[in-house]
Amino acid sequence: MDGHTHQHASDRRELQMARSMCWHCQSEVSGEYFCDRCVKVQPVSKELDYFTCFGFPRRLSIDQQQLESKFYELSRAFHPDFYQNKSGEEQTISLGNSAMLNTAYRTLRDPIQRAEYLLDLEAGAVKDIRTTPPADLFEEILELQDTLDEFRASDRTSDAAGALRTRLQSERATLEQRQRDMETQIQRLFGRWDALQDRGEATEQARAERDRILKEMRDILSNRTYVKNIVNDLIATIA
Amino acid sequence: MAYSDKVVDHFNNPRNMGSFKKDEEGVGTGMVGAPECGDVMKLQIKVQNDTIVDAKFKTFGCGSAIASSSLATEWLKGKTIEEAQKIKNTDIVQELNLPPVKIHCSVLAEDAIKAALADYQKKADSK
Repeated sequence: MDGHTHQHASDRRELQMARSMCWHCQSEVSGEYFCDRCVKVQPVSKELDYFTCFGFPRRLSIDQQQLESKFYELSRAFHPDFYQNKSGEEQTISLGNSAMLNTAYRTLRDPIQRAEYLLDLEAGAVKDIRTTPPADLFEEILELQDTLDEFRASDRTSDAAGALRTRLQSERATLEQRQRDMETQIQRLFGRWDALQDRGEATEQARAERDRILKEMRDILSNRTYVKNIVNDLIATIA
Repeated sequence: MAYSDKVVDHFNNPRNMGSFKKDEEGVGTGMVGAPECGDVMKLQIKVQNDTIVDAKFKTFGCGSAIASSSLATEWLKGKTIEEAQKIKNTDIVQELNLPPVKIHCSVLAEDAIKAALADYQKKADSK
């Protein structure tokens, strides 16, 4: 595959798939998941990222319908049921491919998991970017935690407990609104990321914008986890 | 998974829970979080003549995170700034007998100590 290494990004998928010979007949594999010559199923490389596995570009907006139909198509191709009368090697490959496919589908289907996954893939450059803990949010969480403790220790039938409950309910509404705002922000970042990828520029500005988007995404996703945690605790406490 | 006796003890009888006023003389505040699990930890030290005379914490998280920060405040009291710098998360793991899945709680506590010390230093330098 020397000499092919500088091809376009769109060809990267084929390159990764052509990394090896067919495990069975040793001919070069050029098809996606099956050998052209002996038609045996080929193992999906562990290095293959989930986007490529589905034949998608590394974008954050995904057409759910397209994702689903590709998932069904590949599920049919790999499902262990269809390999019961095949060789042991083929059964193992079918099992491995199915497992990978399921994980890939679950990850890409959920926008938050998809974003986390993309961050993992692209992390190399963002690891060095230090995220500053959101002090205001932390103070708020710890304060709310105190109120929750107070409520837990209170006599639930008392007026004081009633007042605390009302306060906690309004806190809950505020926090849930905040969660929704964060999801909107994440959606906006999805758009910025995809647009940047579509432009495909290799300039200094493009790289800076890329790092900015990833860092903002990291921050929002982290903050979202903190808020989600305290909201869950709050709901469980006042239930 | 069962918590060790020491974790349970710190969880049931947390030492030094509470907080100091952030802008109080000689107070350093460390605020850290673990986005993976959503734990939040605030650890504060009060320093006089280079020695930590008091420490307080507030933690929102699992039992191990609470125990780690509780233990950290206990250890910090009476230590000089220099000695406090040397507290390692592995010391906390050992003392509390934390299982591998809870090691990140001790890392969080070490980060909180470092952040509190850095905050104290920053305030002291700016004077």
